[in-house]
Amino acid sequence: MAAIYSLYIINKSGGLIFYKDYGSKGRMDTNDSLRVASLWHSMHAISQQLSPTTGCTGIELLEADTFDLHCFQSLTGTKFFVVCEPGTQNMEALLKVVYELYTDYVLKNPFYEMEMPIRCELFDINLTQAIQKDRVALLGR
Amino acid sequence: MIGAGKIKQYANILEKPLGKGKQEVSLSAFAFLFSELVQYNQTQVDNISELETRLEDAGYAVGARVLELLCHREKGNRRETRLLGILSFVHSTVWKVLFGKVADSLEKGTEHEDEYMISEKELLVNKFISIPKDMGTFHCGAFVAGIVRGVLDNAGFPAVVTAHFVPVEGQQRPRTTILIKFAEEVLQREARLG
Amino acid sequence: MPPAAPRSGEAIFASVERVNAELFTLTYGAIVRQLLTDLEEVDEVNKQLDQMGYNIGIRLIDEFLAKSNVSRCVDFKETAEMIAKVGFKMFLGVTASVMNWDADGTCCSILLEDNPLVDFVELPDTCQGLYYCNILSGVIRGALEMVAMKTEVTWIRDMLRGDDAYELQVKLLKQVPEEYPYKDDE
Repeated sequence: MAAIYSLYIINKSGGLIFYKDYGSKGRMDTNDSLRVASLWHSMHAISQQLSPTTGCTGIELLEADTFDLHCFQSLTGTKFFVVCEPGTQNMEALLKVVYELYTDYVLKNPFYEMEMPIRCELFDINLTQAIQKDRVALLGR
Repeated sequence: MIGAGKIKQYANILEKPLGKGKQEVSLSAFAFLFSELVQYNQTQVDNISELETRLEDAGYAVGARVLELLCHREKGNRRETRLLGILSFVHSTVWKVLFGKVADSLEKGTEHEDEYMISEKELLVNKFISIPKDMGTFHCGAFVAGIVRGVLDNAGFPAVVTAHFVPVEGQQRPRTTILIKFAEEVLQREARLG
Repeated sequence: MPPAAPRSGEAIFASVERVNAELFTLTYGAIVRQLLTDLEEVDEVNKQLDQMGYNIGIRLIDEFLAKSNVSRCVDFKETAEMIAKVGFKMFLGVTASVMNWDADGTCCSILLEDNPLVDFVELPDTCQGLYYCNILSGVIRGALEMVAMKTEVTWIRDMLRGDDAYELQVKLLKQVPEEYPYKDDE
């Protein structure tokens, strides 16, 4: 079964506000995940400038020999990206679900401060469920 | 024609017919508004208990109005005068109108004669809210407790009403209990009425 | 995967969870009352309501985008239509229309056909200067700022103040370019 390795959310300034590791391979410590997030933020911006035509919104999918990285950036500049086994299906749909969970359990939480790291129990609970559902491919509608 | 909205204008608001209460807004709109109510009140307090008090006060204002509205619309300008009657009015009528469902349960406290509990698996106002660990027993349901107190108090049943999380075995999330402790005079009156 | 088609305000409102508008109306009333007690001055209350709306707007915009599948609007005209036709409908269940465009397409009016904030409300003599619905103007301002549009939103007509409609003027002040420069020192 295709596996999801990790999930990141970075704010519009490139700060890592959420990181969750799902695989045992290649687990990163906090410093590494912060660095990777900030690098991805820059690469994403550079990719827009590489575009020969205007209006490019940046890298959506990066395929490597050992993993795929799917990225979704909201119009408000928040980036959600998932690192998974090569060829994992329905990752765009999963990121959309994560975005909706973020609008519910993060943005409607009065104790969440904008742009800051996400520490919301309900977001974690619902995210875990969404990822599990994804593993049984319920999102492949 | 420019500017002619569909809203009818009344010279005096009292002439406007009372709505049937069937209009709806999205839960999200309410959740964002409630979240902002909590955030604003956080800026006005020094500690968690003050925050609860302020949310309760806001709820009280809602409760007082809900009582008037519902007595008029749902009960033909009559209101309950007995303890169990008013409790069931809160648990059923008020809950149904405000939260779209009857509350999960209404129970009498086992230890104290003057205590009643309304319990709900997930309070509507809490649906999207995670309480940070450092806020201890704080409960946004203080707002709902305030609504309940507002209804009871204005119906002539003064009480102390508080919201609590109660862990449920085998469940990740605790349920909420709204604890109602009636004033002594209420129980004495009930006893007289027999 | 092709982008999902944008959804109408009606379709979204029909599909989302809803609550009784009276809970919303009365809760908003409780907020206004708290502000009047805390701040005393009506002008201060107007400012605070606008600020609270702004705080909501910068959060609510993501839900609007997530649920509506709206992609980037071509211009301010399309944006205003989106707010009126999709935004008001999906959150408040009411319809609004856009009118009174100025010549260069940067200023228009949004006219509310219904307004759930004001049920049961009458302004007492002491609050005649109150813009009771000022939270709405803040929401629009906050939401648009998150998609790089600086706006000024003001009430033109307010039925609580004796006018014949609820009319908001939305004026585009500045459109921040979407590809902001990434510099090392930022």
